[in-house]
Amino acid sequence: MPSVTTQITVIVIGYAALVTVLALVVVLRRGDRPPWLDQMVWLLEVLLVVRGLAGLGTVFGDDPPDSLSTHVGYLVSSVCILPIAMKSVEGDRAVWSSGVVAVGALAVTVIAVRLQMTA
Amino acid sequence: MSAPARSGPHQALLAFYALFTLAAGARALVQLTTQYGEAPVAYWLSLAAAVTYALGWYAIRQASVGSTGFASVMLWVELGGVLTVGTLSLVERDWFADASVWSDYGIGYGFVPAVLPIAGLLWLRRQKRTIRTGASSE
Repeated sequence: MPSVTTQITVIVIGYAALVTVLALVVVLRRGDRPPWLDQMVWLLEVLLVVRGLAGLGTVFGDDPPDSLSTHVGYLVSSVCILPIAMKSVEGDRAVWSSGVVAVGALAVTVIAVRLQMTA
Repeated sequence: MSAPARSGPHQALLAFYALFTLAAGARALVQLTTQYGEAPVAYWLSLAAAVTYALGWYAIRQASVGSTGFASVMLWVELGGVLTVGTLSLVERDWFADASVWSDYGIGYGFVPAVLPIAGLLWLRRQKRTIRTGASSE
């Protein structure tokens, strides 16, 4: 059975991909950014923080990743990207603010995959 | 002081440029400091890519508030860089013992590095038209 960290990562990847697709759909439908998209982003951020805390166990454990600095870089950026993206569209609910959310969620999806690959 | 940028596709472009500045910059710095001897040309080119993205971010931000001059130069420089490094990485394999950000036209990043400057130039063309239309109607 895969480790708890791996299971959390799989959930993060799936959920982040879902947020990316939904944000893109909102952009394509050319509507304002709905409040539920913000809520989904913040839930994703909670999952990323949990993944980050679990990742500390990997970093400081008995079997740290080979490319430690790269792995730590991915861990830190996975937690920081969404709050920065949301801050940059604070007070702006126009259609392309969802585009920023889509880019942030896509980045987090890729980073979560890379986290798993470098663990 | 410049007017605040209007909402538009440039916001997604800016997000991509910020992200790639971070990704390429962090990658270049880690590789230059921990494994410099393996492929110095590739790592320096990654750093150059990071600087280009930072300048591209600034250029697009300026263009979004009406100053399109720098972006007109910078986005072509970026496209030239991706095409040159991408082609060199295929022709001169020896120079690239390890991959650079723009190796194989950015294959390691899902070819986003090749698409970004083209998307940027398309947006810039529309932006210039909008500025011209706005100026003539005033």
